[in-house]
Amino acid sequence: MHVLLIFITAMSLPFLTKKPLDIPPIVSVELIQIAEKTNIPYAPKAKKTIEKAKKKEKKLVSEQAPPKKVKKNKTKTVVSTEKNKKIENEKPKAVPLPEKTVKKIETKEENKQNPDKVDTKVKQVSEFEKKELVDTNTLQGLIDKAKEQESAEIVKKNNQVTQDQVRNIENTGLTLSEEDALKAQIFGCWSIPLGLPYNENLLVRIKLELKPDGSITKTEILDHARMNKPGQGFYKVLAESALRAVKLCQPLRVPSTGYERWKELQLNFDAREMLEG
Amino acid sequence: MTLSKIFKNTLLVLMACIVLTACATKKEVETQTTTTTEAKTETTETKAETIEPIAGQMQGDVYTGTDSVGYLAEGVKDRVFFATNESILTTASRETLRAQAAWLRKNPDVTVVVEGHADERGTREYNLALGERRANAAKDYLMTYGVSSDRITVLSYGKERPVDSGSTPLAWSKNRRSVTVKAN
Amino acid sequence: MTKKFFLIILILFPLNAFALIEVDITRGNLDPLPLAVSPLSIDEKSRLSLEEILLKENIGSEISVVVENNLKTSGLFNPLDKNAFLQAPDIAHLKPRFEDWSLIKAQALITGKVNYVEDKLRVEFRLWDVLAAKELMALAFTTVPTNWRRVGHIISDKIYERLTGEKGYFDTRIIYVAEEGPKTQRIKKLAIMDQDGFNNKFLTLGNELVLTPRFNPTSQMITYLSYFKNMPRVYLLDIETGTQEVVGDFPGMTFAPRFSPDGKKIIMSFANDGKSDIYTMDLENRLVERITNHPSIDTSPSYSPDGKFITFNSDRSGYQQIYIMRSDGSDVKRISFGNGIYGTPVWSPRGDLIAFTKMHKGKFYIGVMRIDGSGERLLTENYYQEAPSWSPNGRVLIFYRETKTDSSGKGFSAKLWSIDLTGYNERLITTLTDASDPSWSSLLSN
Repeated sequence: MHVLLIFITAMSLPFLTKKPLDIPPIVSVELIQIAEKTNIPYAPKAKKTIEKAKKKEKKLVSEQAPPKKVKKNKTKTVVSTEKNKKIENEKPKAVPLPEKTVKKIETKEENKQNPDKVDTKVKQVSEFEKKELVDTNTLQGLIDKAKEQESAEIVKKNNQVTQDQVRNIENTGLTLSEEDALKAQIFGCWSIPLGLPYNENLLVRIKLELKPDGSITKTEILDHARMNKPGQGFYKVLAESALRAVKLCQPLRVPSTGYERWKELQLNFDAREMLEG
Repeated sequence: MTLSKIFKNTLLVLMACIVLTACATKKEVETQTTTTTEAKTETTETKAETIEPIAGQMQGDVYTGTDSVGYLAEGVKDRVFFATNESILTTASRETLRAQAAWLRKNPDVTVVVEGHADERGTREYNLALGERRANAAKDYLMTYGVSSDRITVLSYGKERPVDSGSTPLAWSKNRRSVTVKAN
Repeated sequence: MTKKFFLIILILFPLNAFALIEVDITRGNLDPLPLAVSPLSIDEKSRLSLEEILLKENIGSEISVVVENNLKTSGLFNPLDKNAFLQAPDIAHLKPRFEDWSLIKAQALITGKVNYVEDKLRVEFRLWDVLAAKELMALAFTTVPTNWRRVGHIISDKIYERLTGEKGYFDTRIIYVAEEGPKTQRIKKLAIMDQDGFNNKFLTLGNELVLTPRFNPTSQMITYLSYFKNMPRVYLLDIETGTQEVVGDFPGMTFAPRFSPDGKKIIMSFANDGKSDIYTMDLENRLVERITNHPSIDTSPSYSPDGKFITFNSDRSGYQQIYIMRSDGSDVKRISFGNGIYGTPVWSPRGDLIAFTKMHKGKFYIGVMRIDGSGERLLTENYYQEAPSWSPNGRVLIFYRETKTDSSGKGFSAKLWSIDLTGYNERLITTLTDASDPSWSSLLSN
């Protein structure tokens, strides 16, 4: 009601240090490449043009192929094999599988077949596995605890739907213990990204194709369209963490029988519970 | 803004609550003339701690000692003290301010600054406002005793200029004050 | 026979038989992500040139240390010990041997290279997903060599954003009040520093008491309270030019200033006759508007990020509590109802939370609540702490904490601290002097 005050013009005051604070000039950013990871594979044609463009302009590099500015001759052969593999993967819907994992498995198998070749590398691998086992053991303990809490519910279920369950085992499902073993293993491998906004939908569904030994031949993010939507940047981060978990866990602890049941498997990673709690 | 409360019994708590609700505005503060000595402090709805009064230095949590007290003139104390989170003048405070007013009437050329202060147990911004409110409580009282408002400037320091740097209820009580300072 | 029968069933009910098994993964570990920050490689000629300019023996390592510290202090990442790295920095930057990095349990790898070209510092870096064995990001920056720390911060922000899906907060500054001297005669100066405590500069000499500095949205201006000539008033300071002005022409104390989210207004309290109300002043046309009109103390106003609402604290109920209202002052609503008294509400940059100081039973807490007052969470408890300020991404709060003095009145200190929204990861921010009233800038780049 009473206030409409006129501003007194700017006065430079004696108590200020006179020299202005030098703000450094804004850093100029030169973009080499932002490899936006997408799960929509390049069409073979598009890929070829990219490969061509790469030769013309070194700066444009497709994400699957790490930059090879140097050692061109040496890596050329590698590139071609990678290419082939990629093309193999490029069935519709397919997700480009990181070739490295496949290779890794192969080398592992080779090593097993030729014990003569065992070197330090293999030794380190076994150490790696040992540590992992310890991790999952402690985790198993946690799961067991959690199971106790839910046990009442489960007992109820068992009583009510034994018939259904039997059918599940025969046709589709894993038994509870099979499922628990698999869950426990993956719980231990999944580093949930801590920066995720916990008031968002944090479910990412991943489809796996498995070998009988539990190693993975193919992974696919089922809602990958969401990855590139604006405001869903965290979803990509989440999906990547799930893929890392699956890779870290290989070979998966799958049942010893009934390969047909689980040769394809869908994992629903949901971080919300952990981040809220 | 001390959270440690000084209460002799729960009856006093209730009384304080009643008094304080009545004291929501400054005008009401002015009309409040009789019960204030009993109006012990109340900052939060949850206080139960009872601290033994420090003999002779505090009444309730209002400082009554003479340590740190200066003089505006011979026999005229320069400051008054407040309860936690409060700007109500106690009987002793009103006595001091009447003496200040009398001296100011005798010395009409003197102008003063009334500085308002708070203790360290409050957020900085709120305490600036609280200091201003305390200084104004003193200023208003001086005015009702005949000192013209254009001779009095108020200046709040919030909690920025304590006289006692201690972290004790006694130190805080010394810091909750308004000080009348000659400006010329 | 049974086999055939089974086959027929399979053919007849293929969907049923091969329905995809689903397994729900609802748990994982919440440990910080292990990653490796390989020192940035540098050729000998560039190294020598840069050493001469910057007096740092190996600027490549120095920049990687900036990145590593940033990522570590975020609490979201666990940079691994460099001694365990198997691959040399220059080779790793060309083509990492992912087996080597996964062996030390790194899930992400950062490599890079530094050059000195045409009097400029050129820094490139790459971020790799070790398990997927692929590159996630690659960028290069060119700048004057003295800007090297900022390059480290910008790289940290890019990595943070790529690995969390949220903007980072490393290329930012903190404005605060530097304090010295005895508690009864404290000398206070405005100071500014990088978010990690480096590049500290004092903006005033300490002749006047200064309090509560706050950045504008572009981080070029500061509004604060100064006791210049013993008249406590809100001031505006342009940190680039050093020019200053009083905000408005009020006949009494103005205090608790903040900028509106568009930077066009300053909102503050004006204390008059024992009551404090909230006002705004438009910086373009200098018009002053009164927002609250109540016999109580209304102070510590803070806008919602969309500018439509204001949160503030008021003692109109008898004690300090948090309220929200529309930006025109209508629809005033109290939102804090827990035990204790509440002050210094600050709206989060995301808009969904309000951070505050709470005082209860002789303790001070920093907490957050939703904008309707629900979901109160206390993040940290101490003898005295207040004045939270949000990181630009709304994930971290910075505030100041004072210690109790001993019986002789000594041992007082005031320091800046930060804490995550989760209540974890509380950290002391090292300052040259004692410090209080921190305010976080927006991201300086972009």
